[in-house]
Amino acid sequence: MQDHISRRLALKHFGLIAAGLAAACTPARVLVNAYPQTFDDDPELVDRVLRAFVTTVIPGAAADDPDLVRALTDPDYPFAQFAAFFAADLTRRGERRFGEPAFEQLTPDQRAAVIRDGLEADATTRKMYNGAVTLAQVAFYAGIYDAQRGCALIGFEGGYHWHPLSEITYPDPALFLAAALTPDGNAA
Amino acid sequence: MKTIQTDVLVIGTGFGAAAPALRLAQAGAKVVMIEKGPRVQTADFRQTSDPKYVLKYLKGTPGDNLKLTYAEALGGGSGFYEMISLRAPSLAFEQLDDDGRLLWPADVDRRSLDPYYDLAERMLHVSQIPVEEIPKTGLVFAHLMRNLGYSVDRCRYAVRGCQGSGFCVTGCVYGAKQSLFLNYLPQAVSAGAEIETDLEALAIEPLPARWRVGAPLRDVPYRYRVTARRRTGERELVAFVARVVILGGATVGTAKLLLASRPYLPKLSEHVGRHIAYNGSVKVAALLPDGVPDADMFTGRTHPGMVSYQFLGSHGITVHAVKAMPLMLVSAAHLRLRDEPQAAFWGAPNVELMKQLRHRMIILDAFGLTPPGAALQVRAGDARVALPITAQLRVYHAETKRILESILVRNGCRLVETDFLDKTFMPRQGIQFSTAHQVGSCRMADAKEHGVVDASGAVFDYPGLYVSDGSAIPSSLAVNTSLTILANAERIAAGLIERYRLPLPGGSQAQAA
Repeated sequence: MQDHISRRLALKHFGLIAAGLAAACTPARVLVNAYPQTFDDDPELVDRVLRAFVTTVIPGAAADDPDLVRALTDPDYPFAQFAAFFAADLTRRGERRFGEPAFEQLTPDQRAAVIRDGLEADATTRKMYNGAVTLAQVAFYAGIYDAQRGCALIGFEGGYHWHPLSEITYPDPALFLAAALTPDGNAA
Repeated sequence: MKTIQTDVLVIGTGFGAAAPALRLAQAGAKVVMIEKGPRVQTADFRQTSDPKYVLKYLKGTPGDNLKLTYAEALGGGSGFYEMISLRAPSLAFEQLDDDGRLLWPADVDRRSLDPYYDLAERMLHVSQIPVEEIPKTGLVFAHLMRNLGYSVDRCRYAVRGCQGSGFCVTGCVYGAKQSLFLNYLPQAVSAGAEIETDLEALAIEPLPARWRVGAPLRDVPYRYRVTARRRTGERELVAFVARVVILGGATVGTAKLLLASRPYLPKLSEHVGRHIAYNGSVKVAALLPDGVPDADMFTGRTHPGMVSYQFLGSHGITVHAVKAMPLMLVSAAHLRLRDEPQAAFWGAPNVELMKQLRHRMIILDAFGLTPPGAALQVRAGDARVALPITAQLRVYHAETKRILESILVRNGCRLVETDFLDKTFMPRQGIQFSTAHQVGSCRMADAKEHGVVDASGAVFDYPGLYVSDGSAIPSSLAVNTSLTILANAERIAAGLIERYRLPLPGGSQAQAA
């Protein structure tokens, strides 16, 4: 079974892009090819592929993290409407290159090769892959779904973690300071 | 349509709006302020990296080679800025345009603004960061500069009781940052001003009226009608008629409003929306070498405490270290090690780089006296900003980047490539600037052929219509703009009180004088 997204519908969706971060990841023009209906019918398949994608982009990210691929399917971000198409594209590229019909079954190096393939493809595909990579990184490193969680991988603690002054600065600041040009911090 | 009469209508509640509203209310005028953004207080702020929260308040104007960021909320940018409060150096006021003409009006300079800087600093409790509170990143920056024999100064901030949480730019949950809703705005309300939020000014129309030149405010008729629309509920229209209208909606907002009003204000200067200055920010990142103590990208106040004026006289730039939360950093740029064959903005090399972000990465940022060369273009209500990249700008960008990289390389740092991204996360090509320091779309000038308002903030050919915000500031400042915008707004407020023969409010311009 094949499901066709009409070019008109796709362009209409693209036209709804909001500005700023929320607008990220959505190419202005995409050649939306037909993709297997199963990617629309089976959200677990999409989830598996996207998890394999994100753990390739961010090795060390926990594959079972419930928030790992949430940004890519979050209806508040425009990428969500292309998540199934993107998962299908990863799968198609993986199969074409390595003969393996399941992207998540590829080795990490093979998955990386598939992603590189997308990042070096035509301008529209490049835009989609760039957007997916960066949105995944933003969501993971910033910990956008849990204010207090942050990202342990990079030592970001998130919000609401109070630090005493002794942890914010060094006890001997004079050892660091250079000569000042002004008496009060304001240039003349 | 509901119509509200007032002596003074102030559009905006940020740094350019708050001072005239407070001073005129204190002097007995009936003052109404309208704010496009929502009402916020300390309790509304969150220490979060949720883009939906951030984008609720922080907005952007995209464009060619320049991107502007600003806040829409009660208090304007004061809720979300890094609370740096520096006076513009004298050099900033001495800049010339291509014809050799001073960008600033003849009687506005650092010396004439200093009394108003004093006043603004008192209101915001501005002080130099104590040595013992300088965040690690600021100390490491100072260390790098000292290694090369360069100077570094402790910076000044509008804060009382800083907790060093590192979330200045999402709003201070402790109420330590001296945002305007903690000082100017409540004082204005206490003096009788009214503030309405979620209300967007759409157009300004002059009313037929006659008055005696120099008449006191009470004898001035209603001269302008401002149509506004509520942004909540039924989105009904509201009209304000006012004797005096003060535009304080900042560089983008004020220019957009005046451009939308041009059919009613045909004698407006042709310079509306032009000559935007932007402090030419150039950023460079690197990894610290072994032997240099750890920095900390995430703890301590967002601006890490130090500023260097070392290159101000020679190159017109100030140099700062920058701290950036992952949300801001990763959404703004792809990072990869320079001169590293395996470097990539994703995958294992990127993860290894990101692991060093907190303690081993240093980012330097230079603010410069770049010419006011950008312009706003508004089509169907959407604004874009255009900045032609001139030969002069190319030289500035290259030379500034060279200075920053030289500081890092001579200290043994490994440079990190930062490919800045557009709103679709694609790397932007060529020289790109981004800033929250935009000023000058309705600049002050000695004559209409050079600007939009005179030195008193009065719009040329439209008596009773004033601009008191950053859009009136005619040049880059090489330092953060908020204190200068506020000081200039205090100066304009003092002029209004004198012009309209209002009684001197205690503790305002009398002290400044």
